[in-house]
Amino acid sequence: MNKLIQFKNIVKEFDSQIVLKGINLDIYENEFVTLLGPSGCGKTTILRILGGFIEPNEGEVLFDGKNMAGVPPYKREINTVFQKYALFPHLNVYDNIAFGLKIKKEPKDIIEQKVMRMLRLVGLEEYGKRRVTEMSGGQQQRVAIARALVNEPKVLLLDEPLGALDLKLRKEMQRELKKIQKEVGITFIYVTHDQEEALTMSDKIVIMNQGEIQQIGSPIDIYNEPANRFAANFIGESNIIDGIMLEDCKVMFEDTVFDCVDKGFEENESVDVVIRPEDINIVPTKKGKLIGIVKSVLFKGVHYETIVETETGTKITVQMTVSDPKPVQNLSADESMSANDFYIDISDIPELTIADITARADAQAWKTSTEELVSITKVDYELKEEKGSYPVTFSTSAGTMHTIHMIVADENKVEAEKTNEVIYAVNIYKTIDDIKESIALETDLKTWANAQAWTSDGDTSIAITNVEYDFDPENIEIGTYDITFGTRGYEYKIDTTEEYNVGDRVGLTFSPDDLHIMPKEGRL
Amino acid sequence: MKSFRRMAYPYLIWSAVFIVLPMLLIIVYAFTKEGNSVINIQFTLDNFAKFFSDKVFFYVLRRSIYIAIVTTVVCILLGYPLAYIIACMKPKSQVVMVFIVTIPTWINMLVRTYAWRGILDKNGMLNSILGLFGIGPIQFLETAFAVVLGMVYNFIPFMILQIYNSLSKMDDSYLEAAADLGADKVQTFMKVVLPLSIPGVISGITLVFLPAVSSFFIPKLLGGGKYVLIGNVIESQFLTSGDWGFGSAISLIMAIIIIISMHITKKLDKDNSAEGGNG
Repeated sequence: MNKLIQFKNIVKEFDSQIVLKGINLDIYENEFVTLLGPSGCGKTTILRILGGFIEPNEGEVLFDGKNMAGVPPYKREINTVFQKYALFPHLNVYDNIAFGLKIKKEPKDIIEQKVMRMLRLVGLEEYGKRRVTEMSGGQQQRVAIARALVNEPKVLLLDEPLGALDLKLRKEMQRELKKIQKEVGITFIYVTHDQEEALTMSDKIVIMNQGEIQQIGSPIDIYNEPANRFAANFIGESNIIDGIMLEDCKVMFEDTVFDCVDKGFEENESVDVVIRPEDINIVPTKKGKLIGIVKSVLFKGVHYETIVETETGTKITVQMTVSDPKPVQNLSADESMSANDFYIDISDIPELTIADITARADAQAWKTSTEELVSITKVDYELKEEKGSYPVTFSTSAGTMHTIHMIVADENKVEAEKTNEVIYAVNIYKTIDDIKESIALETDLKTWANAQAWTSDGDTSIAITNVEYDFDPENIEIGTYDITFGTRGYEYKIDTTEEYNVGDRVGLTFSPDDLHIMPKEGRL
Repeated sequence: MKSFRRMAYPYLIWSAVFIVLPMLLIIVYAFTKEGNSVINIQFTLDNFAKFFSDKVFFYVLRRSIYIAIVTTVVCILLGYPLAYIIACMKPKSQVVMVFIVTIPTWINMLVRTYAWRGILDKNGMLNSILGLFGIGPIQFLETAFAVVLGMVYNFIPFMILQIYNSLSKMDDSYLEAAADLGADKVQTFMKVVLPLSIPGVISGITLVFLPAVSSFFIPKLLGGGKYVLIGNVIESQFLTSGDWGFGSAISLIMAIIIIISMHITKKLDKDNSAEGGNG
């Protein structure tokens, strides 16, 4: 096969923003090539450079071995199907398709022949006289394809041509486009952000991100052997696990050594291990290479997406003391006041301010009759840097007073060596009303208990994803309750045909060649 | 919704008093005898008979339409290229250019037309410049040239803005598509830009032709007494002859001609886009 188009080190800047960072790409004759990437990755820019609508700042484009610099669009043997079709509204379907041929001044009978053939190819024989504005999106799409193909270009460029169509029509047009491409036998360069579209139609996929090519390969290659984390995530769903490559064909993750088929890494190199959801099988725990608990099961039409947690996250449990206190009443001044006990870390004492104490105790005073808030003018407390219980008295200028206890305790945190995580939370006192009135209880509990987690080196904070409690928020009674906060463990997404129950203990297996190892440097 | 509808009542009253009522008065005057009191209306067709029996009025009407057509054509020929140039500029320059085009309309039309008198006069600026080259003096005032010049000058901003509007709204992707299909710049203009801008040209025609055909002070100031148009005839019926009935009848005839011509232009526009240049 001949190299039809060669991009050599193409750089493009818009307003000093680099959108293409040195693109090198060869495209062969009769290929269906898809440029795939998220919006803003530069894929459309490549197409526009090839079409001649913009010139690159650096590098050159060779077409059939000839440099295309400075060649205007109308002199290129390339036609484009534009994103929004750009059909001429003042012309009917026939004249839209005949536009290019009329420009070339072809004889009328030849034009008619070619246009009719194109109309047949796209299945619109009857629509020649229709106005393009009266046609549906799918039909306009076909007209746009016919209008481009009738000029018999060597290359057809398609810029997200199916983006505006609904799912069913899109699938239909995908099949049709592939059929048309085989029939006319020319190179199609197709731009999309839809990975499924790329996988079904292309001979070759070019994955792009942030102005750079991430991987070039056949759909099967790209799916099975993603070059890096970006490619793995962009094409299909993946489980990506941190691992260490001990030696060739030996990778360690989750404290276990597994056989794999990848070679050429350094000893003890940190790697990303990719396992596709359909490559993992759920088996009885005895046979499993990994053991975990089913966390959720989602029905996805042809299969179940089962999430199995192999290693639970780091957990911490705190106590919540729930009371139903009556506010302190000061009848003579028509004032009420409420506040609750609270826990505080020893290490926080040196920096403790009156505002902190008022906030933690949730101290409030108000006019009993009007509920108008009254300011707390005085906070009395004595404090030592020692564990224990210390009284705090809040008072207003009218003499309303309320005493609560501030409990100084050691910092309550859990460090997990295996996962290098630290999680922290404090015991709390709450009223029944606080719990009942909470709209987002889990979030409120996290805030009240000041629950936080971070990596052992203290640099990165980790999300707390699990909040467990054993009370019914609607019917809570006075008492003490345990609340457990936890981080996310190692979770595997697995496609199964069988439905498992949440909470089942299961084993996971996979074969060595289902582990795809990628270097960490590829991480974006 | 009901309260919104109520908000339209003041406008309805306003338009009834200031638009519909005068129109009705014109019709009443056109079909009644002079000196009628409102109580004693006498129907007559004399005013129309007078118009159609005297060939002079027909000639004046024909001349008015001719002048208006010439004005409109000149406005298109001068206005289209300028509108196209503006539409091709950078967005910021476009704003400035549109601003410049509209500046003359800030000054009273009468004052501007008087200024042309000074320029075109026998001892005016134009003739003194031509005199330097040994030409002239040439009689500009009181010719068809002066009248057309005055009208083009006054009405061309409407043409430019209408065409500019339709050009600037045009999607760039049409131009790219044309280039992609092999059309060079000239072909792209002829086959895509021009046809797509026709609606702008049509509304420009409406905005230029209508005031041009009924204008009376431009021919009066620049054409002098020698170049009489239908607008002048109507004006003189009301202001000098005092024959309101006849003046109203001519106005009515004019209105009918205008309505018919607008209908024809609209139809042309529709056919143009519907046919889609078959062939």
